[in-house]
Amino acid sequence: MTGIPEHNRLGRLGRAVARRVSILLLLVITVTILSAVLVRLAPGFGMDESQLDLRLSNDSVASVRTELESPGTLLGLGNAVARLAHGDWGVSLALHQPVRELFLERSSLSLRTFCTGLFLAWTASFAAAVVLAWLRRPALDVCAALATGAWLCLPAAVIAVLCLYFQLVPGLALSAILIPRIFRYTRNILQAAASKPYVLAARARGVHEPSLMGRHICQPAAPELLALAGISISMAVSAMIPVEALCDSPGIGQLVWQSAAARDLPVLIYLTVLIAVVTCVANLVSDTASTLLSPEAW
Amino acid sequence: MNTTRVARWLLLSIMALMLGAGWWAPCPYDRQFRDQIAAPPSQTHLLGTDSVGRDRFSRLLYGGRISLFLVPAAATLSVGIALAIALGAALAGGWRESAATALIDLFLSMPWLFLLLAVRALLPLNAAPWLSVGTTFALLGLLGWPGPARVLLAAAHVQLDTAYVLRARASGCGPLRLAIIHIAPNLAPVAWAQFWTTAPAYLLAEVNLALLGLGIAEPLPSWGSLLRELQSLSSISHQPWILVPLGVLIVTLGCSQVAWKTGDYPT
Repeated sequence: MTGIPEHNRLGRLGRAVARRVSILLLLVITVTILSAVLVRLAPGFGMDESQLDLRLSNDSVASVRTELESPGTLLGLGNAVARLAHGDWGVSLALHQPVRELFLERSSLSLRTFCTGLFLAWTASFAAAVVLAWLRRPALDVCAALATGAWLCLPAAVIAVLCLYFQLVPGLALSAILIPRIFRYTRNILQAAASKPYVLAARARGVHEPSLMGRHICQPAAPELLALAGISISMAVSAMIPVEALCDSPGIGQLVWQSAAARDLPVLIYLTVLIAVVTCVANLVSDTASTLLSPEAW
Repeated sequence: MNTTRVARWLLLSIMALMLGAGWWAPCPYDRQFRDQIAAPPSQTHLLGTDSVGRDRFSRLLYGGRISLFLVPAAATLSVGIALAIALGAALAGGWRESAATALIDLFLSMPWLFLLLAVRALLPLNAAPWLSVGTTFALLGLLGWPGPARVLLAAAHVQLDTAYVLRARASGCGPLRLAIIHIAPNLAPVAWAQFWTTAPAYLLAEVNLALLGLGIAEPLPSWGSLLRELQSLSSISHQPWILVPLGVLIVTLGCSQVAWKTGDYPT
C-alpha cells in the first residue's frame, strides 16, 4: 500500500465522494420532479368521490370541484417542494392522517424488520458461500446451485404467504426472500476470488485454510461484497412491500401497498422520494467503502 | 439427451399446452358451477373448482396462455427499448450518452417492485379486464429496460471499437445504417441473453402484482391471479391441489433458467 502518495490518494477519494454526492442530489431532485409531474398527469388527479354523491346538488358539486382545483403542474410542484422544505408532507387521502405522522409511527417497525431480514440473509448467505469455497466439493456446489435456482423461482409474495402459513415473523420472511439472491452473488464473488493464481500459490505453499480464506479470499473480495451490500438494500426495500402487505405488518412497505391500492398519490410522492434517498445513500456509502478498500485506490 | 434439451422440450411443451387451452380446457375459464363450489379434484374437474365454482384446470391453462405469451412480449418491448437507447447513446456519445447513462442510473436506483407499484397506482385501478392485462404487461415492458440497456450500452461500446465499424465509417456509412445494418446484428446475442434474463423476472413480477391485488382484473385468469388462492392459509392444508399452479410456475421458470444460456444464441 505504498504506490500513491497520501495527499493524492485522499484528494482522489474526496473528488470521487463529492462526485457521487452531487449525483445523489441530482437523482433525488429528478425523482421528486418526475414523480410530482407524473402524479399530476395521472388520470383522475384532483377528483374526489364526493363529486359522485347523488345527494349533492349541482352547486355543491361545483363548489367541491373548485376546492379541489389544482393550481397547474409547475405551480403545484413548486407548492409541494415549498411545503416539503417546511416539513409539511401533506395529508394522506386514504388514511386521513398527516403523511409525516404515518411515516414516523411505521418507520420503527419497518426498520426492525429490515435490519433483522438483512442481517439474517447476509449471515446465512455469507456463511454458506464461505463453507462452499472452503470445502471445494463440486457435488455440493451443484446442490447449492440447484437449491438456489429453485428458490429463486418462488415469487417474493408467495414466500411471504408461506412464511405467514408457518407463522414466521416478517424479518424471517424478508431474509427468506433475500437469501438466494445474496447467496448466488456472494458464491460467485468468492469462487472468482478463490480461483485466482495467488490463492493456488498460497495453498501450494501450505498456508492454513482459515488464513487462506480470510486473508487471500475474503479480504480481496471485500470491495465487491460491499458493492453487493449496497444493492442488497435496494433488494430488501423491494421485498419489504409484499412481506409487510401480506404478513399484515403495519410498516412502510404496507403503507406503499395501501397507498398504491387506494391511489393515495400524495403519500406515493413522498414515499418515492424517501425510497430514492435511502437506496441512493446506501449505494453511495457502499461505493465509497468499496473504493476505499479496493487495491486500485492505494 | 442433455439437461438443456430436456428443459427446452419441457418449456415448449408447457407453452404448447397453454397455447391450445381452447382445445384442451374442459370448460371456459369463467364458467361457474354453482353446485360444485370449492370441489375437490374429480374426473370433470382435474384440479377441483375455486371458491366461485370455476374449473381450476381450465383457468390454469387459460391463465398460462396469458402469462406465457404476454411476458415474452413485454420482455421483447424492454429489450427493444434498451437496444434503441444503447445504440443511440453509444453512437451519439458526449452529453447525450451521459444523459442516457444518468437516466439508466435513475431507474436502476429505484427498487423494481416499488417503481412498478407506484406507476401502476397512477393508472386507473378499476379498468376493464383486457385493459388491465394490457396495462400490466405494458408497464412491465416499459419499466424494465434500464438493466438490459446498461449491458447493451457496454456491448455497443465494444462493437464501436472494432475494425469493421472503423472500416464502415471510413466508407462513409451513416450512423443510422451503422446502427441497424452493422452493430445491431452483432448485439443480437447480448440482447437474446437479456431477453432470457428479463422474461422470468416479469413472470415473477406479474405474480407479485397479482398477489398484492394490482394485477390482472377478474374474471380473466393469470398465473398470478390463480396463486391468490394461497392467501387463504387454511385452504393450503385442506386443499393441497391449489399448490399445483405454483408447481407449474416453478417448473416453467426452472426450465427457462436452464433452457437457454447466454452463449446459446440460435444461429
